[in-house]
Amino acid sequence: MLSVLPRADELTIGADGAEVRRASEWLVAACRRREVPQAPVGRLELCLNEVLANIIAHGGRPARAAPIRLRFESGAGQDCSEASVTVSDAGKAFNPLSVPAQASPASLAEAAPGGLGLRVIRRCSDWLRYSHEEGRNHLTFGVRWDRP
Amino acid sequence: MSISYSDIGADLRRIVISGRLDIPGTDSVAAKLAELTAAPKKGVVVDLSSLRFLASIGVRALIASGKAVQQRGGKMVLVVSDSSTVMMSLRATGIDELIPVFGSLPDAERAAVA
Repeated sequence: MLSVLPRADELTIGADGAEVRRASEWLVAACRRREVPQAPVGRLELCLNEVLANIIAHGGRPARAAPIRLRFESGAGQDCSEASVTVSDAGKAFNPLSVPAQASPASLAEAAPGGLGLRVIRRCSDWLRYSHEEGRNHLTFGVRWDRP
Repeated sequence: MSISYSDIGADLRRIVISGRLDIPGTDSVAAKLAELTAAPKKGVVVDLSSLRFLASIGVRALIASGKAVQQRGGKMVLVVSDSSTVMMSLRATGIDELIPVFGSLPDAERAAVA
């Protein structure tokens, strides 16, 4: 339970690769302002890139036609701090929590190009939340870290 | 974003990638990486020690190159700082268990031609 109310930053971007980089820069700057340590910033940035890449690749025309909304929040509890990003897009409904985790390939020859992004999101976040409301996907990923 | 290479003798090629392997970064170097790793060298070292960010699209480019090298009987290895966010990406995707990763260039070069 967070004892300090979370503060939020928001950004709206288009669905293309250059905008993903702009979103990364926005996130890193927001984390710096809130003094989020480097390791959780890196995890959040990776998750954000993968979520946005999935939207661009698989969200279809509606995802590319409508703006993607980003919301960054951070707050502190008694023992730990946390930060999260919510990504809202108008693409095809897709709940990443419903996708079974794939087994890791045993060799380079077996390695498939698909599924890496979801694996990164799962491994780099501490929690995930998904909803589909008013025609938009809302995916939130968060990280926690111990307070010094 | 930059990619460069040097050949060390007949058997070894060192490829250096710096910048960010996110969507635009990977788009700008993926074809060159594939071309450079297609050379008939026994060993290929891909030096990522100056890379600042690695998304899964960049990991896919590394997998494709590693497979190509392996299919012609060669070996591709990576150089990555152990504490970097790039190493975090490799661990998160599990690719660090499929493509050998070294913290130092000399160790990587020895392993690539062993």
